[in-house]
Amino acid sequence: MSRFEIYSPEGLRVDGRRWNELRRFDCSINTHSHAADGSSYLEQGNNKIITLVKGPKEPSLRSQMDPTKALLKVSVNITKFSKTERSKTSHKNERRVLEIQTALTRTFNKNVMLHIYPRTLIDIEIHVLQQDGGLVGTLINGITLALIDAGIAMFDYISGVSVGLYDTTPLLEVNSLEENVMSSVTLGVVGKTEKLSLLLVEDKIPLDRLESVLAIGIAGAHRVRELMDSELRKRAEKRVANSTN
Amino acid sequence: MSSIISIAKRKGAFQQSIDAGFESGSEDEDVNMSDSIDNGPTHTQESNSTEGHIVTPGELVTDDPVWMRGHGTYFLDNMTYSSVAGTVSRVNRLLSVVPLRSRYTPETGDHVVGRIAEVGNKRWRVDIGGKQHAVLMLGSVNLPGGILRRKSESDELQMRSFLKEGDLLNAEVQSLFQDGSASLHTRSLKYGKLRNGQFCQVPCSLIVRSKNHTHNLPGNVTVVLGVNGYIWLRKTSKMDMARDAPSGISAPGPSNGAPIGAKTLRSSDSVSITRLEEESSWQIYSDENDPTISVSLRQTISRYANVIKALAFCEIDITHERIVSAYEASMVYPSVGSLIDREVMETIGQDVLTAEKMRGTPS
Repeated sequence: MSRFEIYSPEGLRVDGRRWNELRRFDCSINTHSHAADGSSYLEQGNNKIITLVKGPKEPSLRSQMDPTKALLKVSVNITKFSKTERSKTSHKNERRVLEIQTALTRTFNKNVMLHIYPRTLIDIEIHVLQQDGGLVGTLINGITLALIDAGIAMFDYISGVSVGLYDTTPLLEVNSLEENVMSSVTLGVVGKTEKLSLLLVEDKIPLDRLESVLAIGIAGAHRVRELMDSELRKRAEKRVANSTN
Repeated sequence: MSSIISIAKRKGAFQQSIDAGFESGSEDEDVNMSDSIDNGPTHTQESNSTEGHIVTPGELVTDDPVWMRGHGTYFLDNMTYSSVAGTVSRVNRLLSVVPLRSRYTPETGDHVVGRIAEVGNKRWRVDIGGKQHAVLMLGSVNLPGGILRRKSESDELQMRSFLKEGDLLNAEVQSLFQDGSASLHTRSLKYGKLRNGQFCQVPCSLIVRSKNHTHNLPGNVTVVLGVNGYIWLRKTSKMDMARDAPSGISAPGPSNGAPIGAKTLRSSDSVSITRLEEESSWQIYSDENDPTISVSLRQTISRYANVIKALAFCEIDITHERIVSAYEASMVYPSVGSLIDREVMETIGQDVLTAEKMRGTPS
């Protein structure tokens, strides 16, 4: 196999995007209305995920009950068939998956108004059907949509996006080919602000390049927020039109 | 493939430094922002405190500090923001955002349907589809036979003979606790254990609070529309007939070949209401279904359950009139099971809405 060009001199990436282009973004909410309080299906490029939010509900264990606030639980199920090659082992207790779960829990603990749901449990379940790089960003978007669908109060949208750094060029939303050959960061941006609720740096990245990476990342995340917002408004208008009161 | 989603360069100091370090991208002006997705109304400065306006989390609702902040909002630097996706509601000076979908929030006086989740110390814990289980105290239920006395220790020991785990009941919210959970009571003969029917669940936002939540439907079926979105469909009992009797039973809508007309039963109903109450109150905790429920009645009940599912699928508010109207619309489909096909559900929803428009009845 010949080595492919990650970033051509003409400014094109392996999948034909330019440095500042997002992948296809298709989302829908309330996809599993019987199974959960809030649900979303998200396709971000070739990432395809289902998110279910159950709760706020009575915790099944007494130990999960906090008299002052709700408990947020995130579980990520990466299916064996999600990559190009079927994995032999389950990803359930993989260190990386556990790390992702912790990162997501921490991100949303700050953003969801847990104090108004005392003695309850909010259970977030994500199923990754297909993955193609920048997974954590996609997971953040999926959770945001599902939480809003469930009517759970939160301060703002959190939109996730990954940015790679190829030589000196920041590449917005890396796919798995790009992710494997360059260092990348994942951002969770709060609403329309430039505040980050997550900055996940898993590789080494030159500090003097970080600013340009963050700048395009934040701009990309704002665009993702707009895309999610327009989908939510579309749903809301349909619902309002049907209601009588 | 869909349109290109490219990110325009931002203005501002933060961006300047990128241009210095990175130039090759800046000549691609032709592709920037070439996608056609409408960003919706931009709402940065204007205040969105108008009634019924749709807002999403983090959106500025108003910058006017005179408003009191209700549910679904938060306050930051003299600005009120929305914390949920929903519509703005104003009551006097109180500004709140009503979410489009959320778990049921109990309010005093609500008629709810619930399921016993746990039998505890002098109380039952009832799942009413809310954020937390509600409690039903032993002291707030009727004893069989309607005997009025203090509940003794022996009553405490036989709590499971009244209501056990998994039993369905309808009840009223008596009061609310500090944390928002509810305390229920069943101190009326219209509340209590549910029998002779089928359970059905819809989002609670689709049920509108009204004076009456128990309705007799054509076809000898009674529906209990719990405010929490839990619905119970059952065979119309003598009690249900008697409840409607003083005002006279009006079978809503034309009775187009309903298997058993509701009116026929009423003529045979000569027992006085008080007598009925006495009779029925002995079996209020019975687990036995009425043995005379016919196959056709079972089918009618399933048909009602499926049209309610269809209404919920179309996100149409569920009212007595709409259930009847949807039931009539469903009659063109002979098979009850076919009613939950996606296309059929959509057609029924459309039929209900058009029928309403034709009649011009504001529901």
